[in-house]
Amino acid sequence: MADFFNIDNLIGYKPEHMLLHGPTKLLLDNFHWHDPKIGIVASYTPKARDVHDHFGVFRGVDQIEAFAQASIVSCGTFLECKKLNCTPLQLKERFVPAFISVGMVTFHNYLAEGETFISIGKIKFYKFRQMVSDGRIYKVPAGLDLTQYFSDFNESRLDNYDLGEDFSLIAELFDITGRALKKETFTTNK
Amino acid sequence: MERQEIIDGLVEILRTVRTIDPEKLKNVTEETDVIADLNTPSTELINIAAKAEQKFDVEFEDDDIDNMGSKVKDIVDLVIKVKERA
Repeated sequence: MADFFNIDNLIGYKPEHMLLHGPTKLLLDNFHWHDPKIGIVASYTPKARDVHDHFGVFRGVDQIEAFAQASIVSCGTFLECKKLNCTPLQLKERFVPAFISVGMVTFHNYLAEGETFISIGKIKFYKFRQMVSDGRIYKVPAGLDLTQYFSDFNESRLDNYDLGEDFSLIAELFDITGRALKKETFTTNK
Repeated sequence: MERQEIIDGLVEILRTVRTIDPEKLKNVTEETDVIADLNTPSTELINIAAKAEQKFDVEFEDDDIDNMGSKVKDIVDLVIKVKERA
């Protein structure tokens, strides 16, 4: 694992070192493409626990959460850490990542256990520790090597969601918004 | 920069916010609360602050926005403070 201070993007970086949830709430397996001010592509494969008690399919709200983890949380954390010259763990001591709002979401299809999907997120706005992202979720063709597939991905392809026809559109998401809140302003009932 | 000049500029910014009823912008005062009185989503405050930076040629720090209230006078005070800081 590369030292966070020595990386220029999240490609190949372990999501569990970037997002600091416990493992059962982490809906992100790998980063495949990342341009820090432009957007990201990341994947997740639903586990048995993700579809348990839900007809064997991954819930729509979890699709939104997975997209948010891949886009606004990962990209926002990366940029804030670079700005403050700290690691994600050090950032966690000062800020709480908060889900602020969700715009329009359209679900086109479903995902079952073991079906890998990618979240493609475009950064629309980032300022004052608030990030807004639009994007899509696609089911990945079985057996595809995503690292290899996205090795020559670029901003133009991101803009056009330029993927092979064997990727299936699962959801379109707009105005997914999150903000890093100072810990002293974030209170819980505990 | 006079306070009224900043309020007038702020009203111009608020006219661009889709969720705000233009009728409510006819009587904006320093006490007008952008969220409570103009029914603006709290997330929009960040966008308003970003537009205010351009409008008034200032640069806010993240902490400025953390500490900013939602009344018109809070934004006016911040613009003046940041201009003085510069």
